[in-house]
Amino acid sequence: MPLPGRRALLGGLFAGAALSPSGPALARLFAVEKRNAETFTLANGLEAIVLPSRRAPIVTQVVVYKVGSADETFGHTGAAHFLEHMMFKGTDKVPTGEFSRIVSRNGGRDNAYTTFDSTGYHQTIAAEQLELVMRMEADRMTNVRLTEREIVPERQVILEERRMRTDNVPSSLLDEAVREQLYGRHKPYAMPVIGYPDDIRKLGVNDLASFYRSHYAPNNAVLIVAGDVTTEQVRKLAERYYGPIGNRRIEPRHRPSQGGTDLPQKVVRADARVVEPRWTRLWLAPSYRVGETGYAYALQVLARLFGGTETSRLSRVLVDERKVGLSAWASYSPSSLGLTSFDIGVHPAKSRSLGDVEEAVTAEMKKLLDDGVTAEEVERAQNQLLAAAIYSQDSLASGPRIYGSALSTGGTVADVDAWPQRISAVTPAEVLAAARHVWRDDGAVTALLTPAEGSR
Amino acid sequence: MKRLRLLAAALAGLVVLLPAVAGAIEIKEITTPLGIKAWLVEDKSAPVVAISFSFPGGTATDPDGQAGITDLMAGLLTDGAGSMEAQAFRRRQEDAAASLGFSASLDRLNGSLRVLSANRDEGFELLRLALTQPRFDPDMVNQRRAQTIASINQASQRPGSVASRTLMETLFAGHPYAADPDGTPQGLAAATPDLLKKRAAELLLRNGLIVSAVGDIGEAELARQLDRSFGVLPTGTPPALPPQWVPPTRPRTVVVERPVPQSTAVMALPGIARDDPEWYAALVMNHVLGGGGQQSRLFNEVREKRGLAYSVSSGLRTYRRASLLVMSTGSANERIAEAIKVIRDEMGRMRNEGVTEAELNDAKTYLTGALALSLDSSGSIAGLLHSLQIDGLSPDHLTRRAALIAAVRLEDVRTVARRLLRDDTLTTVVVGKPVGVTSEP
Repeated sequence: MPLPGRRALLGGLFAGAALSPSGPALARLFAVEKRNAETFTLANGLEAIVLPSRRAPIVTQVVVYKVGSADETFGHTGAAHFLEHMMFKGTDKVPTGEFSRIVSRNGGRDNAYTTFDSTGYHQTIAAEQLELVMRMEADRMTNVRLTEREIVPERQVILEERRMRTDNVPSSLLDEAVREQLYGRHKPYAMPVIGYPDDIRKLGVNDLASFYRSHYAPNNAVLIVAGDVTTEQVRKLAERYYGPIGNRRIEPRHRPSQGGTDLPQKVVRADARVVEPRWTRLWLAPSYRVGETGYAYALQVLARLFGGTETSRLSRVLVDERKVGLSAWASYSPSSLGLTSFDIGVHPAKSRSLGDVEEAVTAEMKKLLDDGVTAEEVERAQNQLLAAAIYSQDSLASGPRIYGSALSTGGTVADVDAWPQRISAVTPAEVLAAARHVWRDDGAVTALLTPAEGSR
Repeated sequence: MKRLRLLAAALAGLVVLLPAVAGAIEIKEITTPLGIKAWLVEDKSAPVVAISFSFPGGTATDPDGQAGITDLMAGLLTDGAGSMEAQAFRRRQEDAAASLGFSASLDRLNGSLRVLSANRDEGFELLRLALTQPRFDPDMVNQRRAQTIASINQASQRPGSVASRTLMETLFAGHPYAADPDGTPQGLAAATPDLLKKRAAELLLRNGLIVSAVGDIGEAELARQLDRSFGVLPTGTPPALPPQWVPPTRPRTVVVERPVPQSTAVMALPGIARDDPEWYAALVMNHVLGGGGQQSRLFNEVREKRGLAYSVSSGLRTYRRASLLVMSTGSANERIAEAIKVIRDEMGRMRNEGVTEAELNDAKTYLTGALALSLDSSGSIAGLLHSLQIDGLSPDHLTRRAALIAAVRLEDVRTVARRLLRDDTLTTVVVGKPVGVTSEP
């Protein structure tokens, strides 16, 4: 069911293109083949991407709107996600709650998600039922009935969703507080996708209707169909069902080029419910769109070799050798319309303090900044990222996810297809320069999750 | 590296097409020259090979005083093998873009390998090393033990995990299924490298091995690779299954206090065995009650109409020696009592009235069609084939399944609803600070 989104957990868009290997090891191991993405655009501005796959007689339809929680304003947080829930209610043609029932009784599954930058709706169903789900998805692009009667119980559902995902979970509450510091209070990406409880309680028919009218239109959406279907079939159906929908004037989306103003910061959550402490540090980082975007590819390689796997520097030194941490990781995702973050985290080993962890992480960072990275570890990280691109072609679900994420954050099909080449082209010098750019003391928030004093 | 030179696999016949998936999924049963049996779906959609396999003997057969040793052993199989310590072994996996993993469930030791087909020699060689020469270096044992204890601690922070754990402890009190598959700090402390080695030798046998393979690999090549990885394993007697579970005969409610705003509730009844003649009727009944996604009665009554929860569902669970029907939800502490009441009312309505003709038909079309939806990737197809084998089904089950579902009649659903949905055997666990719910031990 509707999930409040997160930007991709792992760095990177995984997708394919004919690869020009940058080193002998790459040539030996991987040739990422081009994904057969075919595209067209309807007269009303709807962009469509078709990813044919003959493996099973099923199709996945995804419609991604270029609007997310970062397009909300303080006082109205949670609107994008609330509207996503309401899209499952009804239109004049499809009665309340029937959308998912119709999909289900035709042997399919459906769901939706909201992220900071996008809102997506997807169904997977037998290939011959593509017309059915396309007709219904097109219908709710403009015809959803937003009524007080439907909103009242759904508001309670969303508050329960918030309790389950956030209020019941100390680490989620800490993450929410950290984002406020990192991106600046009441700014995009600082406010939670699901919204603040007070805002969720206040959002009404008018707020949601206005959000719907402002953002849901064919020229603000991307249609992605993957599976046992041809581009001609998709084009014919899309013209029939999405084609007649009029476009709208869509306001440009704005994202700040700056984050929090009072950094560095330390945010502590001491919570009686916590048993295992956690140390994390987040830096504001460029994305593919905002900041020094030239570092976006090198930062993905950096995250991978520094803390992406159990052979990364952090794991090797902190977990295996010094035994300061039980686990350690680094992550970075550049698919954002605004700034993003580079994150490092460690679960401390028993009897080691958060201070020990901080000292060890800082030492490893300093070592990297002083000595740089080796060609071998860069190549290994590149190999891992490219392998993930190949594996993503083995899954029907991953293609739409990759293209949907790219196109809703200002990217293009060509960007997705060039990803393997761009990752392969990253040099050790660029990785070092990217680390120097992002790992600055004045851009970071350190977050400590600890048991409450006196508890346990 | 010793290479086994082998003749082409001896084929055991049977080729089956899924009705809806004809041409895409064709299951071949093969037997290798060394006698390893496997199911194969050859599929060139991606340059990938995925296998899913398992051995009899899971965490429910952990030796006394060593709770958690089976799962710990499973994780350590990929932490160094042969002459390679953990870091070297991981590097070899990464450099081949191979992903090899083991885990233990209550009944079985499970494994999977995914590798680019071009690197299959290396992938299956690493699998062979993990199965036959795992190291259990003391340093790694200590590290994995500490991580497991931390993960047990983390689970104790999450209301959903506490509820699931408490449910199993309550339902299976006195039975091996009551134990946490992750083990206990004491049991894990007792798991020395020698005992872990012994445990691996007890379980990694050819007897009872189940293998499914999917991807860009032919029969003869798969046979060669399977003989390389599994052919050298010894034969022997796997651990005996635990005794049959005796279901509770009275209702119980257990409240676990936690300082959280939302209470999690799980409610369980004795379920139905996979080979029970009424299985398909139960599948239909569960789908209408709380299975699938957003079409179920529980979803409609608890979430849509009353806004009592974000998540509410029911599901059938089967183990080798027990089966359950489990319903779960989460609602604000002040409203959880009402959510539980609505769920119980829906159980009662289903018991008394069964399902409608329309619900029956909708459930049938969903359950028939949804099978194809799980054919998303090589790994998920391998997993599906593996679960069919675990359930003792033959490859032609995929063809017969639609007819078995179609044959379910309204009265079959009513009969199985009366049999399963009994208030007098309902176990309820609530974790949080629920208002209006108290323990009834």
